[in-house]
Amino acid sequence: MGLEIIVMIKQVPDSSEVVIDPVTFTLNRGAARNVINPADENAIEQALLIKDKNPGTNITVITMGPPFAETALLDCMSRGVDRAILVTDRAFAGADTYPTGLTLAATITKIGKFDIIYAGEESTDSSTGHVGPGVAEFLGIEQASYTSNSWAEDGYVFAERQLEDGVETIKMEPPCLITVLTNANMPREATLRKKIDAMKKGIETWTLANIDLQPDWVGLKGSPTVVKSMRTINEKKREGKKFNVDEMDKFVDELVEKGILTFGVD
Amino acid sequence: MTKIEDRLSLLNYKIDRSYEHITVNHDICAVCPDHFCTFACPAKCYTLIDGQLNFKYEDCVECGTCDIACSHGSVLWTNTKGGHGVKYKYG
Amino acid sequence: MSEFDVIVVGAGPAGSAAAIRLASAKANVLLIDRADPPGSKNVSGGVLWGDSLGQVIPDWEKSNMLERYIEAKGVTFLTKDSKIALDFRSTKFGEVRSGYTVLRTKFDAWLAKKAKDAGAMVVSGVTVDKLAMEGNKVTGVIQNDEVVTADTVILAEGANSRIAIDSGLKKKSDDRHMAISVKEVIKLPEKTITERFNLTNAKRGYASEYVLGFLEGGVKAGGFLYTNRESISIGAVISMEDLRKNNQTYSYDIIEQFKEHPFIAPLLADGRVEEYSAHLVPEAGLSVDSIYGDGYMIAGDAAGLTFSNGLVLQGMNYAIVSGIGAADSYLATKGSTSPERFELYRDSLKKTFVLKDMNTFKGSDKVTWSETIHNTVPAMAEEIMLNIFSENGEPKKHLSKIVVESALKNKQRRKDMIVDMYRMMRRL
Repeated sequence: MGLEIIVMIKQVPDSSEVVIDPVTFTLNRGAARNVINPADENAIEQALLIKDKNPGTNITVITMGPPFAETALLDCMSRGVDRAILVTDRAFAGADTYPTGLTLAATITKIGKFDIIYAGEESTDSSTGHVGPGVAEFLGIEQASYTSNSWAEDGYVFAERQLEDGVETIKMEPPCLITVLTNANMPREATLRKKIDAMKKGIETWTLANIDLQPDWVGLKGSPTVVKSMRTINEKKREGKKFNVDEMDKFVDELVEKGILTFGVD
Repeated sequence: MTKIEDRLSLLNYKIDRSYEHITVNHDICAVCPDHFCTFACPAKCYTLIDGQLNFKYEDCVECGTCDIACSHGSVLWTNTKGGHGVKYKYG
Repeated sequence: MSEFDVIVVGAGPAGSAAAIRLASAKANVLLIDRADPPGSKNVSGGVLWGDSLGQVIPDWEKSNMLERYIEAKGVTFLTKDSKIALDFRSTKFGEVRSGYTVLRTKFDAWLAKKAKDAGAMVVSGVTVDKLAMEGNKVTGVIQNDEVVTADTVILAEGANSRIAIDSGLKKKSDDRHMAISVKEVIKLPEKTITERFNLTNAKRGYASEYVLGFLEGGVKAGGFLYTNRESISIGAVISMEDLRKNNQTYSYDIIEQFKEHPFIAPLLADGRVEEYSAHLVPEAGLSVDSIYGDGYMIAGDAAGLTFSNGLVLQGMNYAIVSGIGAADSYLATKGSTSPERFELYRDSLKKTFVLKDMNTFKGSDKVTWSETIHNTVPAMAEEIMLNIFSENGEPKKHLSKIVVESALKNKQRRKDMIVDMYRMMRRL
């Protein structure tokens, strides 16, 4: 039986192309190209795996971002996603994770019926991990985070969560939201056929007018986060010392002496 | 002299873990009289370790030199797939 | 009916020029590049000679993708201790700009964008596996076992042309037809470059080809040094045949020997190596009869359309002209199903400078890689210069006497030298 799946993605600067300014030690994103956030690629793959097993499944990918996010959306479509919506509006500028989640939730509400929403666990350029769970809360649905695998079976959705002390498998009733860990799977390559089809089909572009939100709920105005200041942490000079293999006693003594290593029972 | 390893470390690669675009036939390399590939390859992908040919595709800059350099039919050269491989900043 | 009128494989100067031309004529074109972004695997020394690009992008010279235009052109012989250079500068280079330095990643992405703007579908980051064929007729391309059909395929996949080779359209190359080029891009401030190369301003550049007559083990290689706006492109073009004979010099060390030469090192001082790259340089073109067939044409480096004679290294302009030629041949024969229709491509190339140059300089590789050019001439010239310009307490001799003595001393067999000189006169 076919499912309706929505995948939320973000485009981020390609981390292999981001360079650190040798003087200010800040990230220079200008030089880097934008790509799909790595964990989101795994989220897309997870959705495609479900589609492989459940014929008739429809996948819609959405993103809130600037117009050039089109490239990332076309990339998703060329892997097998059926529909792509770019939600873009000047009013969204400066959004923190709160109005971003709200905007995406409003978009999903407009799309209508869905069984599973997928998102990457977190983005490489801000690493908050807020947006996925935020959307679940706005929509009032069940959610599973930190997942390495998920599947649909007998009308339920199962997800394996990677926890510190093991793997937790949970069973949810759709609709639900799942955030996927980076490297949870091996994202498939786009094919020429699908790339051509994606370009022919194109993406849909929505603006604030397409979703039922007030202008001051979104973007900078709707963002409770205030960045007070930013500073670069300079590298701390670390002490280095070499020990020979036969000096292990000395090595351990010194670690204890410096308080790096302690013995005892807690 | 800038070491070749340092020069290669400047490059961006999107390494394909699931596909090696060049493969060598080690049976042929084992009896190769010249190992010209080790001199010709500009990316030092071919090295001799204890007399044995060692090949790594990860540093390849996809020039195609080795395919012509090897006159013994050991090198099987194909294109990298899916945008993998070297990605130049300047070119 | 085919899905596309034309599929162009490879977004370099040849492929993109073809795609722009075709799309501008409202043909339904698909341009495919295996790199993502398109062009990010492309490398060349870096001077785009000529104005062929104007045929598809009329205002191309206004583009900020061009680094510097060549104001000073050098031809330089280097021996272990000396440099003998021709340094040609002309105010005429300012009136008619004959060459621009470019950095290909940026430049080629821009060309592909122009193709997209003209209406071509540009797909990058996907590698065509092979050509779809019905008998000898090319009917499209295959990727992931799926066929995408086209009336015509233009193969512009570069020097290392796997698809043409694997589809049996072209033989694998050999030592005689390929040289290895290694290159570095060295960052320097714009002002430093302008001053160091005595250039009028930051828009103007220097380009020189070198004969590296000093390499360890006597390997034959040519060098090049081009100035970009804020970097220098420097490289060595190494004879594969000669490197094989030597079999003890590493290709990647030769460029370092060049960079460390006493008269090159100061030009690069305080520069930071930003990129290292390597590429094959076709040395002698394909036979013109193998650059087309039923349903396909081969353009640019893939067709062996590059040229070096020691004085100048060219490829991009030939690529552009051949790409445009292929596009025009498609447009002119549209609707024809004759397997021979792309004879027109061959014939049109024969009319342009591309094949005329190839013919004029046919066999010039024999001179380019000759013992005379790489060892004898530099050694002789050095000796002659030293003889003329040093005061050694002995009476001055006539130049002719110095030349003869030097030639004898260099043990160059006179016959060889006469043959090489004749070849040079005829071909350069």
